[in-house]
Amino acid sequence: MASSSSSGLTFKLHPLVIVNISDHYTRVKSQMNPPPPTSATSNSNNSNGGENNQSPPRVYGCVIGVQRGRTVEIFNSFELLYDPSTHSLDRSFLEKKQELYKKVFPNFYVLGWYSTGNDAEESDMHIHKALMDVNESPVYVLLNPAINHAQKDLPVTIYESELHVIDGIPQLIFVRSSYTIETVEAERISVDHVAHLKPSGGSAATQLAAQLTGIHSAIKMLNSRIRVLHQYLVGMQKGDLPCENALLRQVSSLLRRLPATESEKFQDDFLTEYNDTLLVTYLATFTNCSSTMNDLVDKFNTAYDRHSRRGGRTAFI
Amino acid sequence: MEGLVTQIQGLSGTASDVLSLQNLLKQADDSLHAESTRLPPFLDQLDPSKHSLGYLYFLEACTAGPVTQEQASSFVLTIARFISSCVAEQIRLAPDKFISVCKRFKDQVLLLEEPLRGVAPMLTAIRKLQLSSEHLTALHPEFLLLCLLSKCYKTALSILDEDIFEVDQPRDLFLYCYYGGMISIGQKQFRKALELLHNVVTAPMSTVNAIAVEAFKKYILVSLIHHGQFPTNLPKYASSGAQRNLKTLCQPYVELASSYSNGKIADLETYVEANKDKFESDNNLGLVKQAVSSMYKRNIQRLTQTYLTLSLQDIANRVQLNSPKEAEMHVLQMIKDGEIYATINQKDGMVRFLEDPEQYKTCEMIERIGSSIQRLMTVSKKLNVMDELMSCDPLYLAKAGRERQRFDFDDFDNVPPRYNI
Repeated sequence: MASSSSSGLTFKLHPLVIVNISDHYTRVKSQMNPPPPTSATSNSNNSNGGENNQSPPRVYGCVIGVQRGRTVEIFNSFELLYDPSTHSLDRSFLEKKQELYKKVFPNFYVLGWYSTGNDAEESDMHIHKALMDVNESPVYVLLNPAINHAQKDLPVTIYESELHVIDGIPQLIFVRSSYTIETVEAERISVDHVAHLKPSGGSAATQLAAQLTGIHSAIKMLNSRIRVLHQYLVGMQKGDLPCENALLRQVSSLLRRLPATESEKFQDDFLTEYNDTLLVTYLATFTNCSSTMNDLVDKFNTAYDRHSRRGGRTAFI
Repeated sequence: MEGLVTQIQGLSGTASDVLSLQNLLKQADDSLHAESTRLPPFLDQLDPSKHSLGYLYFLEACTAGPVTQEQASSFVLTIARFISSCVAEQIRLAPDKFISVCKRFKDQVLLLEEPLRGVAPMLTAIRKLQLSSEHLTALHPEFLLLCLLSKCYKTALSILDEDIFEVDQPRDLFLYCYYGGMISIGQKQFRKALELLHNVVTAPMSTVNAIAVEAFKKYILVSLIHHGQFPTNLPKYASSGAQRNLKTLCQPYVELASSYSNGKIADLETYVEANKDKFESDNNLGLVKQAVSSMYKRNIQRLTQTYLTLSLQDIANRVQLNSPKEAEMHVLQMIKDGEIYATINQKDGMVRFLEDPEQYKTCEMIERIGSSIQRLMTVSKKLNVMDELMSCDPLYLAKAGRERQRFDFDDFDNVPPRYNI
């Protein structure tokens, strides 16, 4: 489908919609996969048989919000059932839901619909057209559930429909629109909370890591250069390469400058400090290892020991 | 029979051929067992280094029945030759047959009362059956048993030095660690013995088994010898069955440990005399005597914490030894073993206790710490893998959800939600 839209509408998307879509998708996907063998009795009444475990399921729903002038603000969303035989969404359900939401949020209108997937498809146009009687120009919010660590921005795209003339036939096609994220205070807190679940390393940790990485790359470079020189000298010794006296003189003067300090006291201090650092690292690895071991033993005891402590006052902190 | 032999000879070439051969052999297994007396001449037609799988099936059928003394020695020779020349990949296709052949080998060697003959072939057998050096097979305890009976402990030590991470059968682990502990005690490597016996005692077991009880008795004695004290509670990773029952089953040893901690040699010796037959019936009397003699060492070590210099006469008095000469002998032995740091001034019979002279300034220390860190990192990685496996274990998840605290939701962020499967 195509390039950027020219309708001049500005879109504002709330995080609640993104979290809703993502949650819907995750629920359907995890209910699809067969659970581990010991609990195979439940989960029998599961989703449509057409989906196998390989292809990710597509979920569908409606987005609602407010349109003021040229600004379209998408506040909320709800789920809809997709009928694969007629390739359309369940109409009666949509209307019932719409009524219910109207009672709570009198200002919100159905602005469009959402789905998951990589890119907008031809079949989506059917659904889009079906929604046109509710809203003359619905929007299509597409979430790409594939996790791509290299990608820096959100995998959410908003499409609008425009009438373009292709091969002499006027057709409706999807065009991409840009959007901004708008948050309410409550949404900001919850997004913050979700973001903190995965520790991203405090400032101190990253500083240390950055410094050590710098030193590491410097040493690696030094090592590779010395290796090059060494290979060159070995080649010269074997006779493969012509002897170049100027270069040899330079290498010999460099070598004569080392070691920079050679004294008993320096050796002592140097080795003591080296040993101290190693001991500290050893202690750190030890503590880390014992903590993992402790967790493992606790988990093992809860899982397999029949008479472990009852009325668990175990701290999960 | 001849048809089977030609098939074996023909199909022992490539890996896929060997797999089809294995199916054929599985089907022919019963007929082989039925004709076990006729089989020995066929063994000569097969070459163990090329037709290992077929040879194995034939050999297993031959040795299935009861064996007389004369047959035993010839079988021992054939099996030993087979083990040394067989091909590891073909053997691993039928591991249980290989294990049963080796077990019968061990029985026959014991029948002939020459356990030494079995040690080297069993070692090769283990190396061929193991998937990696971290894998414990059913042959490990058999090998250690042969080493124990033939008293060649040094060969066993090479096997014991390897760290084990995978175990086939729990019984193998128990026996392996118990025998390994006994061998280490024989070699006076008490630290290693303590580690192995500790493994037996704290291994997961739903009910207490006899091996663990015997191991616990030796564990108490070795920890007295090595550490000078015995921890009264087993660590929390020991199974609850072990924690509750082991101490009641080994009552005399626990009392021995408590009288040891009082520090009076005379009391200890009277206690040992009183319960001598109990210790003897467990074959632990030698260990008990070693524990009593280690009491002197403990007491001398305790002296280093209080005094800087002491005369030999004083040492003899405090430690309840008979004469300063004996005290000097004890102290000399301990200095040699590296258990204390001291200098003896022979002119006036004074002993000066010193600090640990290790300055942590040498390159050897750097290498030691470096290699320890590396080992720790590999262990840490393995632990992380096990931790993740355990977190996904449905048994754990079912129970973890139930033990939730009834507190405010806001206070505890990481309370696992109620998991209803």
